Amino acid sequence: MAELTYRDAVAAGIAQEMERDERVIFLGEDIAAAGGVFKATVGLLERFGPKRVRDTPISEQAIIGAAMGAAMTGLRPIAEIMFSDFLAVCWDMVANEIAKARYMSAGQMTLPLVIRTANGAGARFGAQHSQSVENWAMSVPGLKVVAPSNPADVKGLLAAAIRDPDPVIFFEHKALYATKGQVPDGEHVDRLGTAKVLRDGADVTVLALAAMVPRALEAAERLQREDGISATVVDLRSLVPLDTKTILAETVKTGRLYTVEENPRLCGWGAEIASIAAEECFYDLDGPIVRITTPHVPLPAADALEDATIPSVQRIVETIRRTAG
Amino acid sequence: MDVVMPQLGETVKEGTVTVWRKKVGERVEANEPLFEVSTDKVETEIPAPVSGVVSAILVAEGSTVQVGVALAVIEEEGKPLARAAPASGPPNPVAATPEARRPPRPATAPAHEGGPPLSPVVRRLLAEHEVDASAIAGSGAGGRITRDDVLAYVEGRKGSLSPQAVERVPLNRIRKRTAEQMALSWRTIPHVLQAVEVDFQSVDRARLARAESWKAEEGWALTYLPFVAFAVCQALSDFPAVNASFDGDALVLHRRINLGIAVDLGGEGLIVPVVKDAAGKSLPDLARDIYSVSEKARAGRLAPDDVTQATYTLSNSGSFGTLLTAPIINPPQVAILSTDAVTNKPVADGNGLAIHPVGVLAQSFDHRAFDGAYSAAFLRKVKQTLEGRDWAADLTRGP
Amino acid sequence: MSNSPRTAPAGASSGPRLDQATRLALFRSQLEIRLLEKRAYDLFLQNFVKGTSHLSLGQEAVAAGFAVAMRGDDYTFCTYRGHAHTLARGAPMVGVLGELMGRKCGLMEGKGGSMHLTSVRHGAMGSYAIVGAHLPVAAGAAWSAQVRGTDQVAVCFFGDGATNIGAFHEALNFAVVWKLPVVFVCENNQYMEYTPIRSVTAVEHPAADRASAYGLDRLVVDGNDADAVYAAAAAAIGKARSGEGPSLIEAMTYRYSGHSRADPAKYRPAGELEEWMKRDPIALYRARLLELGLPEGALREMEGAVQRAVDEATEAAKASPPATVDVIDRDVWADGGSSWRN
Repeated sequence: MAELTYRDAVAAGIAQEMERDERVIFLGEDIAAAGGVFKATVGLLERFGPKRVRDTPISEQAIIGAAMGAAMTGLRPIAEIMFSDFLAVCWDMVANEIAKARYMSAGQMTLPLVIRTANGAGARFGAQHSQSVENWAMSVPGLKVVAPSNPADVKGLLAAAIRDPDPVIFFEHKALYATKGQVPDGEHVDRLGTAKVLRDGADVTVLALAAMVPRALEAAERLQREDGISATVVDLRSLVPLDTKTILAETVKTGRLYTVEENPRLCGWGAEIASIAAEECFYDLDGPIVRITTPHVPLPAADALEDATIPSVQRIVETIRRTAG
Repeated sequence: MDVVMPQLGETVKEGTVTVWRKKVGERVEANEPLFEVSTDKVETEIPAPVSGVVSAILVAEGSTVQVGVALAVIEEEGKPLARAAPASGPPNPVAATPEARRPPRPATAPAHEGGPPLSPVVRRLLAEHEVDASAIAGSGAGGRITRDDVLAYVEGRKGSLSPQAVERVPLNRIRKRTAEQMALSWRTIPHVLQAVEVDFQSVDRARLARAESWKAEEGWALTYLPFVAFAVCQALSDFPAVNASFDGDALVLHRRINLGIAVDLGGEGLIVPVVKDAAGKSLPDLARDIYSVSEKARAGRLAPDDVTQATYTLSNSGSFGTLLTAPIINPPQVAILSTDAVTNKPVADGNGLAIHPVGVLAQSFDHRAFDGAYSAAFLRKVKQTLEGRDWAADLTRGP
Repeated sequence: MSNSPRTAPAGASSGPRLDQATRLALFRSQLEIRLLEKRAYDLFLQNFVKGTSHLSLGQEAVAAGFAVAMRGDDYTFCTYRGHAHTLARGAPMVGVLGELMGRKCGLMEGKGGSMHLTSVRHGAMGSYAIVGAHLPVAAGAAWSAQVRGTDQVAVCFFGDGATNIGAFHEALNFAVVWKLPVVFVCENNQYMEYTPIRSVTAVEHPAADRASAYGLDRLVVDGNDADAVYAAAAAAIGKARSGEGPSLIEAMTYRYSGHSRADPAKYRPAGELEEWMKRDPIALYRARLLELGLPEGALREMEGAVQRAVDEATEAAKASPPATVDVIDRDVWADGGSSWRN
């Protein structure tokens, strides 16, 4: 085991896979010479050379289109979209082309590509550089969606994504890049579509993703100390494939389900999960399913405003405290 | 058979019925023109698919409907009319989405009337364990019954897990039946309890004077119960709603007064034999009838007829020494009276303090049948009778 | 990268020296496209082909000229007006007609439809229905060949309208900067859907007049002369294959039918269609072949053979059952399934 930052785990995951499989190549804006604007891809150009690690112009459609063309002709490209908000610039490529090519060709094409992108708020970048848009990707058939919360999961899930034969959108969280965690030594490959129960509690079940995971854990500690409410916390890690077995089992165990979502209110990932739980374990619910989300507004920039908008530990605690009876 | 809108072209999805050539009830032969359809201004005559009688026309002239929708029904001779659901266009060949994994709907208890609502898991558990919500105290917000409350209750019922600590005693038939009746009554009838304190001084003067001779003649003691029963019959005559049955949207007043006398079978359960037409009887006759049915009950010699048609019930807890009992009404009756212990108590008798025998009469009544004022007036009448009647005169009216 | 215009002379009657086999291949390819597209049109009128269809009648020489110049392992990317290109790479006629008619024998089993004809084994890497989307994808396929060190080339066909969309500009810049082995071919049929291309474009030649912006040569070719197209194709493909980078070619042509089935093309000025039909690519090529000494009988025989092939494919496609619902939840993922949960 070694302690790595979240950002170093990104480079480590890519390096592990590029070392193992020469078909893995990597393109994006400022990813090679500069090592990435978030310094998440430092050292890759030096290690693997300019043929496999390449800087591009500011051309999101070209970047993602090129990744698609390379993937359909035998390579396993990783493309970076610098801020997940910019997925909107190349959304045609992602949602209309990549997601559908295999289906429309009746399986003639396979697209083993990964689009990795910096998602989420907390860095005071303003509304167009702070969104969490993993729910956009969740809603398009043909895309796998991953969002790790800690360095070990970054490396392991990125490796799994690169090895996956299907298109994977890998949402790193920009506010987590500096966080540290223990990462297994040697080859580390995790599994997509598996959630992790990080904390076991009897009273309520709290689902969270990415940067909301540490907040959910902290809220669970406070609820135990201050209110005697014992919370199960589940790190979803993947939205597609979705580990519904774990989600439903943990929901049935406590009878009370909460989600903590950074997406704006409408159609956040928790809405889909709440719907599944309401349909499939209705007769095990001991109270309404409650979603704790960002309100349905663009994100304000000022630090005090951003902190008050994204679900905070305080808001998570208060919501559960108020509704868990 | 159903006559449906035909598909008159590959891209045609609907048509307008312009003219019906036949009316309901008319006979039509196969291939005879039945109606006309207009699609994109092209008129087409459609023949009947079979011979028979037009038993229904489902779509009026001028209506536009989708291909496949049923337009009319022809009843063929000798063929029973199996009224199938109308076809609604080409069947959707995609099977129900494999994603829906709704489990089969379990039995659940009804939502609780009054009080915080029951959650889905609570309702399911109540039904599974045959527990009534009213049996459980809720520990959730606002007194809500939580899942854990139900589970704890069920666990508590089971007792401890070690087999030596519990003994399972199956209920006998009477107790089971009583349990069902009690639960049903409690669940469905809004009970209100009202009580009056009665001074049995007048009763006692007459009763004690007659006690020895009565015992010698009859072989059993003259208790307060017949006096109460007599006073109740008098009051029931004046307050007919108390001698009635609640029937949803009406109160059924009974002309006969049949008194049910609750008899405790010494731990084996309760039974309520009935003294029919109690109103016309003299006090001594009433006393004898009460004694007689009670004895039959205790000996297990009651006939089925002996336990039916009660219009009012007396529940005598006096021998238990209790102050007050809130009895459970026997449906379809609308009230029941409990007589508890009569004990010597200090009373104010106008001149100061005196010691009189005093007891509480408590009536549970069905608030759907009448209100508190009515019930109170009834109880006042019972009390007034007991406290003011010349009982000695009743007792000297010979056997 | 020189800026001097190198425009192939329009209407050259003999063009470069090609051997007879190549010429016959060019003729046959155009014939196959013409006869199949006509059949597709008829089938649409008879309601066998549902949805919509974008036909290449009149534009056959471009598809044929490039396809014959390409190697079997080169990649083709085209638009929703892609029947011609897919056929020209060798995809079976029954597969094309079957796909249009939504039958099991369709190239994509009815999953893609007319606008998405794909036959990977023939190098037909998809027909793309979002204007301009495939230009970057073609660049990516070229990048892949470059990384892998094969000398495969990607050829990307698009219309005049696509030159005004963002992805066109991104792809061109990208391909030039990375020196990718991709040939971008603009089939300028004068109309962007229902609008004359000139009225919505800042320059006269929507592709060729933008080439210099990306440091590329200005190349305009007579798109109705299969020999001229072939020559331009061979040159550009050769350039790419030898690692010299991308080209942008504008082929001038005309479409006989409307933009799609729904379009009767009433926006065309009177007489314009007739003028262009005088330069029908197949009539032109046929005359040239006769001029070069090929016997009429041989041409008739080829025409008959192609017509028979189209007829057989039509019957076979009609006989194939409609696509079955069991394919609906297949092939979202590489494992053949579509499950998003456990």
